[in-house]
Amino acid sequence: MSLLDLKLLRDLRALKSQAIAVALVMACGLTMMIMTRSLILSLETARNGYYERHRFADVFSSLKRAPASVLSQIAALPGVAAVETSVSMQVTLDIPGMIEPATGLINSLPDRREPALNRPFLRAGRMLAPAARNEALVSEAFSDAHLLRPGDSVAAILNGRKITLRIVGIVLSPQFVFEAAPGSALPDNRSFGVFWMREEALSEAFNLEGAFNTVALTLAPGASERGVIAGLDRVLEPYGSLGAYGRHDHPSDTRVSDEIRVLQGLSFAFPLVFLGVAAFMTHSVMSRQIALQREQIAILKAFGFTNRQIGLHFVKFTLVIVVVGTTFGALGGWLLGQKLVIMYHLFFRFPSLDFQLASGALVAAAFASAFAALIGVLGAVRRIAALSPAEAMRPEPPASFRPAFFERIGLAKKFSVSFRMSLRNIERKPFQALFTCIALSLATGILVIPNSFRDGISHILDFQWDISQRQTVIVSLVEPGPARALADFRALPGVVLAEPFRAIPAELRAGNRTRRLGVTGLPANSELARVIDAQGRRITLPPQGIVLSKALADVLLLAPGDSVTLRVLQGERPVREVRVSALAEDFAGVAAYMDMGALNRLLGEGDRINGARLTVAGGLWDTFLTAVKNTPQSAGVAIKEAARNSFRKTTAESIGLIQTIYLTFATAVAFGIVYNSARISLSERARELATLRVLGFTRGEVGSVLIGELVVLTLVALPLGLVIGSLMAKAILTTVNTETVRLPLILTPANYAFAVLVVSTATTASAIFACRKLNQLDLVGALKARD
Amino acid sequence: MNPSATTPKDPVAAEAVFSVRNLGKTYGTGHAAVRALSGVDLDLRAGELVVLLGASGSGKSTLLNLLGGLDTPSEGELRYRGWDLGRANETGLTRYRRDVVGFVFQFYNLIPSLTARENVGLITEIARNPMTPADALDLVGLTPRADHFPAQLSGGEQQRVAIARAIAKRPEVLLCDEPTGALDIKTGITVLEAVQRINRELGTLTVIITHNAVIADMADRVLTLYDGRIQNSRTNVNRRPVGELDW
Repeated sequence: MSLLDLKLLRDLRALKSQAIAVALVMACGLTMMIMTRSLILSLETARNGYYERHRFADVFSSLKRAPASVLSQIAALPGVAAVETSVSMQVTLDIPGMIEPATGLINSLPDRREPALNRPFLRAGRMLAPAARNEALVSEAFSDAHLLRPGDSVAAILNGRKITLRIVGIVLSPQFVFEAAPGSALPDNRSFGVFWMREEALSEAFNLEGAFNTVALTLAPGASERGVIAGLDRVLEPYGSLGAYGRHDHPSDTRVSDEIRVLQGLSFAFPLVFLGVAAFMTHSVMSRQIALQREQIAILKAFGFTNRQIGLHFVKFTLVIVVVGTTFGALGGWLLGQKLVIMYHLFFRFPSLDFQLASGALVAAAFASAFAALIGVLGAVRRIAALSPAEAMRPEPPASFRPAFFERIGLAKKFSVSFRMSLRNIERKPFQALFTCIALSLATGILVIPNSFRDGISHILDFQWDISQRQTVIVSLVEPGPARALADFRALPGVVLAEPFRAIPAELRAGNRTRRLGVTGLPANSELARVIDAQGRRITLPPQGIVLSKALADVLLLAPGDSVTLRVLQGERPVREVRVSALAEDFAGVAAYMDMGALNRLLGEGDRINGARLTVAGGLWDTFLTAVKNTPQSAGVAIKEAARNSFRKTTAESIGLIQTIYLTFATAVAFGIVYNSARISLSERARELATLRVLGFTRGEVGSVLIGELVVLTLVALPLGLVIGSLMAKAILTTVNTETVRLPLILTPANYAFAVLVVSTATTASAIFACRKLNQLDLVGALKARD
Repeated sequence: MNPSATTPKDPVAAEAVFSVRNLGKTYGTGHAAVRALSGVDLDLRAGELVVLLGASGSGKSTLLNLLGGLDTPSEGELRYRGWDLGRANETGLTRYRRDVVGFVFQFYNLIPSLTARENVGLITEIARNPMTPADALDLVGLTPRADHFPAQLSGGEQQRVAIARAIAKRPEVLLCDEPTGALDIKTGITVLEAVQRINRELGTLTVIITHNAVIADMADRVLTLYDGRIQNSRTNVNRRPVGELDW
């Protein structure tokens, strides 16, 4: 080891706490980078392998009913590689040990062969026997929620007939990586499950023999997805097609892709911010180190060391910090990534989702942090080169100051002398102050993000289930029924209030923009399903016209008063122009509401209903549920509390983990930046502070002079941080929010107070930590030396 | 805490501000021990102007640091108005420096981010019975430069600000460590005139450390230190006015 390297080691030892502070901030950025890149790799590897091995389709469509012969027409479409048709039906389930009914989606599997596409993965038990009649496979998510095992039985109401299905296997499907009821934003694995039966048995139960109601196909290499979708729509149009869509609109795949997209954003933005702060900290530490070693550098130069050698010496200094930071970052990313992968098991079901360390990211992280540190040290090293030995051996000229901006504009009269010192010091080194301020703002800001998500979710819960949806339960019919069916619902035990609803598949078109969705018909002044505007007021559904959700209006570029073409996708398929009468606020999917009478008139099928919203008296709840389970016409039951609890459970867990991560990062940054600033300030002003001690200032008073600047910067940074945090939360929500789920931006005083409290505490703690060094001030020595 | 108020006066030392008996200071221990001061006996009285002469390492700075409450003795007795300064704790010493002592240093030690007026004001803010910063600066003849920052002042001006800062709290003791060490003759004279004026007009006990034997002529008493001991003590019957000094 050269003696210069020995000096490096000893200098490092003296600077260890500052070097650790820089390495810590660096490690935070790298942790995020390695964690997110590893999660992306893990999810992509799991998804791509799964999709390929189990032949996940590229294009999907649902329809009312088409004869099997149509299959050949589809297969003949240009660009289609493979097609699989099946039957898929929603049913009510009676699960042992569960009082309320659950909803099942039963899909058919070909009777005597493996499906060409969307093949299930067998987790336990066995596949269905050929042409088995009462055997079923169940999704793992649902079987986990109900502790179902192969050999267990569940009762299902198939087209009004209650039959018992014996579970023979537990499976996963590439179609249900994210398993939620159609139209539902979050999984509720207790209330909704997916099943598979042999085609013959299922189609017989629903009178669909020799027919199908779902299509999945893969594209030939180079085929245009849009072209195939258009062709498929054309073929299926006469059979009640609800419109074909590609993978990127597939409800399960969309959720996985959305998650990867969010991770990609985080994998870039967070490390950028943290490494930026680390670069600034490196610069401050190294500049100070070089200033302190001014005379040593001069002597080395005088003895013939080259600029290169001395520069390299200081570069090595920062590289040690980089190595420490990268090591901790890699370790942190690896550990946190593993924890988060486990969290993903709550949402995503893959045959295996194993944590895979993105080794490429590890290398990139090492380079990125080295780059950041070198940027930080570059300016300082350039100063070494510019230093002439003779000049460097003389002490630096005294720092020149001037009255601070606030004093020049006449605001200084009320400031204490020590406060003026702080202001002038800040103004003398504006960039240092700016970066410290930005770093503290970021620490404050990143704390706002997870809590705003939590509050947003809580707002959705309140809005969706306290303000808008006021029923206890929604019961839907297998087929639309006559208006008098409402009387049957009213007659169920315990029902206090019953309101009918109508739901029809339709396409809305404005110019060349279209959306397919269910249009909901409600009583004009529905009590149980309130349509609310952005100001929180109830909207009365007009006798003519349509109310669109804000998200739908944005997609179609429509405003109240505009006209939209409504094409019904069932029955006679009427097409009508309707006027947009108002915009409604909601947070999931796209929605359109009409007065039920108006909707029925438009359809021309008489007064019909698809189901009812009910409020049920608490005391008769169990009796009610038993009665509903035995109502053949009911196709599904959605219980508000069940959905709410499931929502809470899954989100609370993930938000809690994310909150902890962000809290750790924010604390690390706040602590690192304040500690380092205080230490540098202490080093730069040791003589000044020692003088104050000699002149009779107590340790506390000198400490307050030392951290006065940091207090000022923190006071500026906190409100700025709240603004930055709010903007970051908004930006992230804009990225995350899709048509499927929209988290509202909710910023509460409690959220802000928490962020301020954490950063102030971290700042205070690190300032106190740094102030302990004041005890080591050499009073006598500082008076003798001339800087 | 006012040390003089809380401790009973020692009748023997009633006249003396400082009473020093067999004072010694050793830095380090064992083989590395350096005896900086030993066996010093000394009384310093109110209103006196005392000059400490001696070569480097003679112990004069050590003695000044002990008198100023910057350091504590290893042996012997050091009393300020009867109060045992030698055994005071850190808080007591801080309070003592704050209320009793004014310091003037060789390199001024002004706060660069504060103007002349504010450097003085910094001390008057924490003192119990200070004069105004303007009055203190007037005493050293710096009223016209009051709103300048240290970097805008000459060395002599900076030192006069340091003197104003030291005397603004009306200290009982003014300790000056090589106050002219970094200045040319002319500027040095101006600074010493300011010190002399404070000593005369405010009756402040003043102790000046210097290498410069000429300065000793302005003193009431001259103590010469050698190898940690007082080698010689002489009293000037006629003090020379600072204006007449030359070196």
